[in-house]
Amino acid sequence: MEKLNSLTRNRIVLLVLLCVLPGLCFIHLISGQIDISPGDFYDAILQFDQENVNHLIVREIRIPRMTMALIAGAALSIAGLLMQTLFNNPLAGPYVLGINSGASLLVAFSFMTGIPCLISDMGTVASALLGAFLFGLIILSFSYLVKSHISLLLIGLMLGSFTSAIVYILQSVSSAEELKAFTMWAMGSLQHVELSTLPFIILLFVIGVVGTLFISKPLNVLVLGEQDAKLLGIQLKTVRLIIIGLTALLTGVITAYCGPIAFVGLAIPNLVRLLFKTRDHRTLIFASALFGGVFLLLCDTVIQLLEASILIPINAFTSLIGAPFVVFIVLKRLA
Amino acid sequence: MISFKQAHIGHNKTLLAIESLSLAKGEVYILAGRNGAGKSTLLKTLTKEVSLIAGNISLNETELNGIRPNDISKHLAFVRSSFPNVDYLKVLDFVALGRTPFTNALGRLTSNDLKIVAEAIDALNINELADKFTSELSDGERQLTAIARAIAQETSIILLDEPTAFLDYSNKMRVLELLKRIAQEMNKCIVMSSHDIDLSIDSNCPFLVLSEAGIQLLETPVSKQQVLELAF
Repeated sequence: MEKLNSLTRNRIVLLVLLCVLPGLCFIHLISGQIDISPGDFYDAILQFDQENVNHLIVREIRIPRMTMALIAGAALSIAGLLMQTLFNNPLAGPYVLGINSGASLLVAFSFMTGIPCLISDMGTVASALLGAFLFGLIILSFSYLVKSHISLLLIGLMLGSFTSAIVYILQSVSSAEELKAFTMWAMGSLQHVELSTLPFIILLFVIGVVGTLFISKPLNVLVLGEQDAKLLGIQLKTVRLIIIGLTALLTGVITAYCGPIAFVGLAIPNLVRLLFKTRDHRTLIFASALFGGVFLLLCDTVIQLLEASILIPINAFTSLIGAPFVVFIVLKRLA
Repeated sequence: MISFKQAHIGHNKTLLAIESLSLAKGEVYILAGRNGAGKSTLLKTLTKEVSLIAGNISLNETELNGIRPNDISKHLAFVRSSFPNVDYLKVLDFVALGRTPFTNALGRLTSNDLKIVAEAIDALNINELADKFTSELSDGERQLTAIARAIAQETSIILLDEPTAFLDYSNKMRVLELLKRIAQEMNKCIVMSSHDIDLSIDSNCPFLVLSEAGIQLLETPVSKQQVLELAF
């Protein structure tokens, strides 16, 4: 009976969040510096007029930004969940393990080369994906060498520091223009995506989510530890590579377009486990995506509302909320 | 059943050579020997975590070397001495993971799977734990839960690494009696390593004693004298 109740409760929580989601999206859409009437939103979508500035703002700025907030939050949260399950470590995440740094490093390299095709959007995405995947493999190989959870996190952080050092050196030898392009990117923002690029990002995101749903069985078994998962017939080597690949895809595409965003991937899966009290990845994947998307949407709504007076990078804002929450998780586990 | 022929077991160099040995269904074999004699290595050779150096081992007439690592799950279930330390994993879901080798790519449990899981939980008489989180269980309850998962896996062989190590006296007895009943009623070949020699002798199980001289099968009734002389 109790099992039924907790299952029903979880479904109700998800359903409620899904129901309020359109409302939250709407609040995000209208909370910009320029006041746009709901009527204009309606027209911008259904009766688009290229001459109308408000229509252009809605289509080219507001809608892409809102969509990116949802997708980035969802993608990073799923990536965090994947890392936490693979390394059996609730404090793992794409940012702390240095997967983001890998993306940043290769993007920095591609910016600094000055080769046009590498500086293009596609070049940035390809570099970010490759960087994320390479650093994922590096962390995976380190995980065989160190047995302790804390050691692996430390190695991830060192990987991050090492990478930023290299990026600083690269910056010092690059031209003013290259430097500006990279700095803009590294600040992290949800507003550099154009409407025309959205379908491509959505496609990569959907591939990542569907791929993750397809490996929910091995993810569920991995909770028992790698040795037992193997004895239950899970093809460990393949599964590990798929997990790293999906994490790189989800982290890489977001990092490429929005710059590094910290703590979402680490905090959201923990929040979701705390709320849903389950280890079933089918629920965890869906809930992480939904909560991550809503979380980043709310963060960005606040940023938009404050934009007139202060400009807060999204990365700084998520850290402001995420870092204390992670400390809370650590204290809770020690208690 | 498990049979050994000139099997050389160890990490890279031979720690234990088994000339010829056959373990039958319906019995619980107690694997005894001093620390480092090779109890865990022997169990891990059967699970293919340690590779066989030379010779032959077969599980139910299938040669161990011919079984792919992913298929070992259909021949044997292994209960480790340590229980995974994860939160929010319910006993029912933990036992259901024993069905992993049989579920489809998405891990969907059929009504038949659920029936088998319920029967495994029933066989161990832990129905009242089914909705608890594994992190809330006592050591004894964890052991019963781990055994339930092995039973849900429906293999003819179950290996257990020191299942009684962390239990109090009454729970040790309970686990041993239970394993004996399972071996007989479900016709399984069970091998468990143990340092609880007195207890295991009381339970009237055959012994596999490891020593420098190799492995020695002692049929029931086993006397403590015999075990001690051989092993220590």
